[in-house]
Amino acid sequence: MKYSYIRARDKSALTQEMKLLLTFFSITLFMLFSTYLFLVFKEYRFSQERAEIIQERYDLNITLDDMEREITFIEKETFLSERVYTQNSVLKESITNLFDLIPSRITLSQADLLENGLILYGITPNKDVYNFMLQAPLRSIFHKTYSSFYPADNGWLRFVSTNYIESNKLEIPVDEESEDEN
Amino acid sequence: MLGKFFESLYSKVFVNIVVDRSQSTVYIELCSKDKVLNSYEEVFTTNSLSSDMLDFISTYTAESPYHYISILDKSATQGAVPTCSKNKISYYEDVSTLEYKCFNKNWTYFTSQEDLYALERSYEELGIDFIFSPFVLLAHFFEDKINDHTAMFILIEDSFISLSVFEDGKLLFSEHLDLEHTENDELLMYEDTDDEDISIDMDDGIDLEDIDAIDDLDSLDDFGDIEDLDSIEDIDEFAESKDIEEEFNESVSEEDMPVNEADGFNEDYQRFALIQSSVNAFYKDERYDSVFIESVYIADGVGVSNDLKRYLEEEMFLSVYIRHVDLATKVCELAKSELTL
Repeated sequence: MKYSYIRARDKSALTQEMKLLLTFFSITLFMLFSTYLFLVFKEYRFSQERAEIIQERYDLNITLDDMEREITFIEKETFLSERVYTQNSVLKESITNLFDLIPSRITLSQADLLENGLILYGITPNKDVYNFMLQAPLRSIFHKTYSSFYPADNGWLRFVSTNYIESNKLEIPVDEESEDEN
Repeated sequence: MLGKFFESLYSKVFVNIVVDRSQSTVYIELCSKDKVLNSYEEVFTTNSLSSDMLDFISTYTAESPYHYISILDKSATQGAVPTCSKNKISYYEDVSTLEYKCFNKNWTYFTSQEDLYALERSYEELGIDFIFSPFVLLAHFFEDKINDHTAMFILIEDSFISLSVFEDGKLLFSEHLDLEHTENDELLMYEDTDDEDISIDMDDGIDLEDIDAIDDLDSLDDFGDIEDLDSIEDIDEFAESKDIEEEFNESVSEEDMPVNEADGFNEDYQRFALIQSSVNAFYKDERYDSVFIESVYIADGVGVSNDLKRYLEEEMFLSVYIRHVDLATKVCELAKSELTL
């Protein structure tokens, strides 16, 4: 203000039209920016999820390996159990057969089942009953049969029968004479 | 910073209003930086803000928020005093009801606060940015002469005369003369004091036949020093002091000047009479440093007839140089200079 009596009114480029224009522009920009932010956030979320899924897949793969190993182990166990069951069944059958072999006149007091043999303790009324009714079937089963007797208090005989199967002779069966020991 | 940036994007619209007795001249200039893009001028037969005028101005102001409305002060109570010191101003004028501003730390121009507010109120709908004093316009217009000449400088408007006497850039005296309201009263008083037997019938206006120019010349006897100066040497000196450049310019521009010889005669005489009485007051008033006026530079804003020049030359022995001035354009220039500050 050099010459004029009054000061010029403040001039602003922000007229009503400009304000309206700026408002619309700012709203548009805000929406664009918010959309951009939303997309950035979404992208971040997706990448995070992707990483999580990759990690999950990796973990699952590891679990899968573990499970495969476990399956293998279980299969082995199953196989083993089946074998044990079969063996047990065989054993059970063998024992049943064994006890079926024992005639009613002979009483067993102890039976030891060995891997390749059988030791029987019992009492018999006499040697003949033992020889004909028990030793004969035992000889047909085992390769080696040893019997020993000693008298009991009531006049009967206590016996110990030791029977062995020779594994190499299972494939090449060789008749072997059993020895009787008194 | 941002405001400056926006300002550079928009073009500036300068609306300049000069109010005459019965009409308003609106001059609009569209500027982009220092380049004038377009200018429009329209004259409205109203001396207040009419709806036509408002519509015309609004058409252009709507183009840019950076529009400036300037108006030339038409207050009757305005003038200038030859000091910038606040204490000394009251020696010339009672400043309690005045709005005043210092010009180049040299002299002060003032106007009535009430008129200023009234002006702002009457253009409230449009809003005014700048109000310029005619004395500022005068000083601006005769910038090339004021600083190195001792002369009287007069701005002639339709209903006002702004008169000032400068001595090498220093204001000695100034007066704002109202042609419309005070002319008859002052003229009558002036004539009455000289005991003239002129009977003026107010209904018929001034009877020119009754006014004797020679009698007016007699009143110049009151100028104390004139007789002493009125020697052949001084006359030669006057002849030498003629402003040849100004005369040349005057002769060139004279052809284009619109002069209303028929209507102008009566008013020109009134103007002359006012100027004469004002000069008389200058010589008489002890408050002002007196200097002998040799020449007068007139900024003619209305197109005065050659009679005024003749009167001044023949009856006051002044070298008269008349320059035509387009008031609205000058107001526009002032508004522009205001913004470059």
